[in-house]
Amino acid sequence: MYSIIKSSTMENSSIIRIEKLVKRFPVGRSEFTALNNVNLTIDRGEFLGLVGPSGSGKTTLLNIIGSLDTPSEGVVTVLDNSIASLSHKQSSKLRNRHIGFIFQTYNLLPVYTVYENVEFALLLQKLSSNARKKAVTDALEWVGLTDKIKSKPAMLSGGECQRVAIARSMVKRPEIVLADEPTANLDSKNSHHILQTMKSLNKELNTTFIFATHDEKVMQYLNRKVSLEDGQIVKDELMKNSKN
Amino acid sequence: MLSLKLAFKNLLGAGLRTWLNVLALSFAFVLIIFYNGMIDGWNRQAQRDTAAWETGVGQFWHPAYDKYDPFTIEDSHSPISEDLLKEIENKTLAPVLVSQATAYPQGRAMSVTLRGIDPEQEVLELPSSKLPQANGTDYAIIGKSMAHSANLEVGDKLLLRWRDKNGTFDAREVEIADVFKCDVPSVDNGQVYIALSNLQEMLAMENEATLLVAGETFEMRELEGWDFKDNEFLLADLQAIIDSKKMGGSVLQGLLLIIALIAIFDTQVLSIFRRQKEIGTYIALGMTRAQVVGIFTVEGGAHSILAILLGAAYGIPLLLLLNKNGIGMGYAEDMAFDIPVAEAIFPYYSFRLILMTIMIVVVTATIVSYLPARKISKMKPTEALKGKLQ
Repeated sequence: MYSIIKSSTMENSSIIRIEKLVKRFPVGRSEFTALNNVNLTIDRGEFLGLVGPSGSGKTTLLNIIGSLDTPSEGVVTVLDNSIASLSHKQSSKLRNRHIGFIFQTYNLLPVYTVYENVEFALLLQKLSSNARKKAVTDALEWVGLTDKIKSKPAMLSGGECQRVAIARSMVKRPEIVLADEPTANLDSKNSHHILQTMKSLNKELNTTFIFATHDEKVMQYLNRKVSLEDGQIVKDELMKNSKN
Repeated sequence: MLSLKLAFKNLLGAGLRTWLNVLALSFAFVLIIFYNGMIDGWNRQAQRDTAAWETGVGQFWHPAYDKYDPFTIEDSHSPISEDLLKEIENKTLAPVLVSQATAYPQGRAMSVTLRGIDPEQEVLELPSSKLPQANGTDYAIIGKSMAHSANLEVGDKLLLRWRDKNGTFDAREVEIADVFKCDVPSVDNGQVYIALSNLQEMLAMENEATLLVAGETFEMRELEGWDFKDNEFLLADLQAIIDSKKMGGSVLQGLLLIIALIAIFDTQVLSIFRRQKEIGTYIALGMTRAQVVGIFTVEGGAHSILAILLGAAYGIPLLLLLNKNGIGMGYAEDMAFDIPVAEAIFPYYSFRLILMTIMIVVVTATIVSYLPARKISKMKPTEALKGKLQ
């Protein structure tokens, strides 16, 4: 049943293809068009930002790529899987194996320790405890939080929480990480620290990072910036002078 | 397994809210076991006492005898055959002759049942040996409740009036030789025990009996001219009364359980309302909706596991103590219940009772948890992640 979940193996091939994407939401008796005729191709290893003002459709696009939502029209293919045709179970499997999420408000599970929060995604993959332990330790090393493994989220600063969220998204070595306003709740210093961490993971593991952001600090790190306005792509530019 | 692990983690993480629900559910759990244990203990005790004092291991009735129809008593007597006399001599059978009479304690008239019993019998616990063999005086023994209602004490005289085999009225004064204490109302209330030979002589029913009580050593067989009644038949009334008490008690238990389950239901509803972001996160991390529903259902159901553990922690010592010392009921002197009630009831907790109670608590708590958790399957993960009310 899960065999239809495919993963691209070709280096730097396009792993996300979006064609004529339309997304509408019901608003009372009428409909609101959040995305209108969006076409986009994203290659493996990109460090890409969806930028634009509030309501431009960044988060909606991110949610569809992450198979948390489905298109109203058009085709969205992620790792050769058409999002519209995936069942609940298949989309869960896709997210669990191949996609990591980072949220603006971290969304850490409050009753779990740092270690357990990071380990959570691996529990669903039924890995052995030794394999899980190694992967979690590696992930916490990447984000520099090995000394906080027994702490609960309530005991951490905002920056530390977001680093835990990054570790959680990266622990399963996903092909794609989707980050929705990851620096919105962080100060400048923490924002840069987080972005540098993500950038180095992007380089080291060739993970594709896609941000939904309107934070200028994030834009400094992007390789590619896709600007959205009123649900449409208005500009798609490569950033030659990005940091790192 | 993952659901169970996560559920317990979340449950324990919720702190006081969890423990209050667990405490309420554990009360219901312990009370259900306690109440049913008490009824079962009472039942066993009542059956044991009734068998020991009245029914033995079964009775052989005269074919015309019906203990519920007093009109049958007059014709319910037969001579005891030679081979049965041997059994009586060997103390394996105890003959009882039954007759209606009127007693006149302090000038009042009251209906009584005269029961002739062999003073040497060992089948029943009835202290028939305290009936002195006639030496010019007729003696009787009565129960404490009868003594209380007739205002009689040992040594008092009691005037009895009856009709003999031929329908002739006769009367005689008997002396109360003993007042015994018995927990079985049908052995005590309105019963006057006289030596069998005396009653046979009074009724002109030489060597006759109404029924024969079989003892444990009696080799069970059919007796010609007598109908065997087993204890299932003889104790059927008692069982019916106890069953009705059990039914009445189950309403109280049900109410208590419902209160505890409403608390869990309420917690679950609140939990799902407040933890939408968490639900969205689970889905984003790759859990299926069914798995998330499973976590929340198990989480609610796990209340019952904790309640059982907590209930066991304080319930086992408490119930064992009650089991050891019994629950004092006082002596029901007027035997108002019509059920054998001992001074102390010793609860009996069977494995089946405990297992059934655990099953009821776990299954109902899980169902109650599942009902609100079903909503999760209809949640949009994108809305849940925002923590928006859906």
